[in-house]
Amino acid sequence: MTDATAPDHSLAEAEALALPANPRQRALSLHREAARVWANDPGFRGQLTAVSHTTLGLRFMATAFVFFAIGGILSMLIRAQLATPQGAFLDTEHYNQIFTMHGSIMMFLFAIPMLEGLGIWLLPKLLGTRDMAFPRLTSLGYWCYLFGGLIMLTALLFGVAPRDGWFMYTPLSGAAHSPGINADVWLLGVTFVEISALAAAVEITVTILRQRAPGMKLTEMPLFAWYMLGTSVMMLAGFPPLIAGSVLLELERAFDWPFFDVARGGDPLLWQHLFWLFGHPEVYIIFLPAAGALSTIIPVMCRTPILGYGAIVAAILGLVFLSFGLWVHHMFTVGIPHMALAFFSAASVLVAVPTAVQIFAWIGTMWKGRPELHLPMYHILGFFLTFVMGGLTGVMLAIVPFNWQAHDTAFVTAHLHYVLIGGFVFPMMAAATYWMPLITGRRRVKGLGEAAFWVIVVGFHGTFFIMHLTGLMGMPRRIDVYPDNPEWIWLNLTSSVFGFVMTIGFAMFALDLVMQATLGKREARDPWRAPTLDWAMPLPSPNYNFASLPGPTQLSRTGSEVTMDLARGAGLLPGAPRGRRELLVTSVGVARPLHVAVLPGNSALPLVLSASIAIFVLLMLGGLYPLAGAALIPVAALIWVWGRGLVLDSDPAPVEIAPGVRLPVHSRARPTLAQSGLHALLVADGALFASLLFGLAFLSVVTPAPAAAPATAATLATGLGMAVLVGALALAAIAAHRAERTIAPGWTLAGSAFNLLALVALAWLAMQLDDPTAHARDALRAVMAGFVGLHALVATGMAFFALDQYRRGEIDAAMPGALPAWQVWQAFTAVTALIAAVVLFVQAGVS
Amino acid sequence: MRWLALSLAGPMLWAVMFSLVYGLHGAICAEIPGPEGLGIGARLLLVGAWGLGIAAHLALLWRVPAQGGMTAQALPRAGAWIGLFATVFTLFPVLMATSC
Repeated sequence: MTDATAPDHSLAEAEALALPANPRQRALSLHREAARVWANDPGFRGQLTAVSHTTLGLRFMATAFVFFAIGGILSMLIRAQLATPQGAFLDTEHYNQIFTMHGSIMMFLFAIPMLEGLGIWLLPKLLGTRDMAFPRLTSLGYWCYLFGGLIMLTALLFGVAPRDGWFMYTPLSGAAHSPGINADVWLLGVTFVEISALAAAVEITVTILRQRAPGMKLTEMPLFAWYMLGTSVMMLAGFPPLIAGSVLLELERAFDWPFFDVARGGDPLLWQHLFWLFGHPEVYIIFLPAAGALSTIIPVMCRTPILGYGAIVAAILGLVFLSFGLWVHHMFTVGIPHMALAFFSAASVLVAVPTAVQIFAWIGTMWKGRPELHLPMYHILGFFLTFVMGGLTGVMLAIVPFNWQAHDTAFVTAHLHYVLIGGFVFPMMAAATYWMPLITGRRRVKGLGEAAFWVIVVGFHGTFFIMHLTGLMGMPRRIDVYPDNPEWIWLNLTSSVFGFVMTIGFAMFALDLVMQATLGKREARDPWRAPTLDWAMPLPSPNYNFASLPGPTQLSRTGSEVTMDLARGAGLLPGAPRGRRELLVTSVGVARPLHVAVLPGNSALPLVLSASIAIFVLLMLGGLYPLAGAALIPVAALIWVWGRGLVLDSDPAPVEIAPGVRLPVHSRARPTLAQSGLHALLVADGALFASLLFGLAFLSVVTPAPAAAPATAATLATGLGMAVLVGALALAAIAAHRAERTIAPGWTLAGSAFNLLALVALAWLAMQLDDPTAHARDALRAVMAGFVGLHALVATGMAFFALDQYRRGEIDAAMPGALPAWQVWQAFTAVTALIAAVVLFVQAGVS
Repeated sequence: MRWLALSLAGPMLWAVMFSLVYGLHGAICAEIPGPEGLGIGARLLLVGAWGLGIAAHLALLWRVPAQGGMTAQALPRAGAWIGLFATVFTLFPVLMATSC
């Protein structure tokens, strides 16, 4: 029951892991017990407090689909405007807002949340566990996404939506050229929404690495999990540059810190670098989950194991890394040195190889098997047709001379729609039609789905194939009228007509899903006869997924006997006899069971915390900065309360997961899921820090601006101040390490004191820094100091939290409480402070 | 975990080399006003860095055991090849390009 293609080592693993089967019980009793414990709260309150991955995954996807519809309606307004050369349908101001919001909604409010939703909903089912690693974080991510999206939509309704294009190039998006709050809505709204992306990335990473069914080796797990692992790692490394860029631009707009102002040593290209450091990997972040769905569905549709499991995993590995070496191909026309053009052109061509490996593996699978033309297969064929064409025009655009000709024309618009609709929307439609029986428990109503597919295919290619020609004839992107170019008229009119056809197709697709959910007949279990664990459960899938968790015995078998085994409690950790939400935490490599994690239940805390963050965002939007600063106090207090919720208040006795096999609960085990999550978060944090270092290096080396006035940061006094700061943080790190080893409160107290000393030193240093509005490098120095200060502040908070745990008697030799997490955070803070101090001192000395 | 780290080693090394050579080229080109040709010293530096990277990749390839055939267990070996090929292909312009 792992992946159909994986070599079958599972039987041997079962013996190696020696996990005897639990005695069978009455399935209905187990179901009732588990359903009661894992149920959402009843009524409307349940809508606000649910933390179940099944509920939230579906909610993510449904909300994303609503945003897709809104983005689609905006695209129809664009097409209506362009249908004639002097369209009077929209004025320029509204046209600019609408195309900006169309792109922003589709990228940030549809595609990313949709893939997050699919991962959150599907991964626990596919991996044989009961929920994601951090259910409250899932909920927090959803509310941040919803509130951020609503802020952006509200701005559109009031005519103050962003209008500078979805990539918000400076200086157009700077305060001088974009007064008002339009650009701030984008910067703050998108950053708010990206909390959900980072939250999802952290928990997807931890869930895949630490929660697979015992015996499901990393090298044998379903390909979808490999794809999602690659995606989540890319999100951890890819989103921080965007967040860094957004923070810098918002600081420039709000406080006149000139990161992108050429006159004061800034450079607009820094924004482009930071944006596309995120923006290009983003394409693969969107594509990989879709490819994961394809790799899951194609073998089932073709009744054969997938071809080249190992080659596909290697291709994912290649894509994850290579996609970070392409970002400059979006900037080929900005005056990049020739040699750099060649580097990025070569990388852009090379990335086609791992993509092609997957395409050929899927084609080979279809060739080897006996394809059955069910509705998901229609959309898969639509994917092949569309995505391959988009990939080939991508290779064209990777070639510098062609890129110079086609840059910023409708050709690029056509290319990106072929890639994104081909590489994401068609696979997502295949996924929706494939997993709908698991979601609804109902069979689809035949006929409408096939018709919707054909209308979408004809509408899509009619719209966007033509747009290649429009672009090759020179039509730029983002213009609202073209009175002097009659040669573009019929092409645009054709695109507009087919655009409406495509929209009708999507409406039919949505109607088909609604009909299935409401009118479909009851579906039998495992209708596709799939070999994966997601179908080894009742339809529709319950919140708890499995009455007992699959182990090596179940992984070595397939079919209905596995489903019955699990339903009757013959798997591991059957039911919920202790009345709490429990799942197994396993080792990274061979998935050996290590301990039992007790997950938090339903909670309104994520909603309240995200609402508090929303208040901060709104106050920033309103320019009420002192109040916004004050709004962070309740945010910090709620995070403290959140941490308190991690403490177990029930019996931490070991749990018997199988006859004779007892495991400790998470409060008495290391490393816990929370510790793994912190490591994942620090990957993102490190990427954020690296983005700031890149900015500093870029402005120091590349910017042709006059040098800054000699910085005071290089004096002996400031050098000593930095030494005190770094020394205090290093001592705090040592104290945290000792505290974690010895569990002695004295070390924690010492760590707290060292952190406070570091904060005092930092405050003094901040006063020595030059005016950050004077020069971009001064502004970046201030940001670096802020980064270190924020981390030291959090480290102090963690040390105080641990002290509070001592006071409450929640830390002892077997139960380390917050100490392991504090130790890791403190070490990270010390290392980044050291790097920042050295870089700032050296950079200040040479400026 | 060691298996995972070995799998990531090849592509990570490419990422390091790509950043290093790109950064080095940025620093060199910042010193050259206008579209002038690269000096012999600058070119040697870039080609040397590229060669060093290839050597490191070859050393990694030599260290990583060949096992697992065409399965995912062979990922460390595949990763080493991916890294080597990516470094050779994406940085070969240090040989060809004549100017900034």
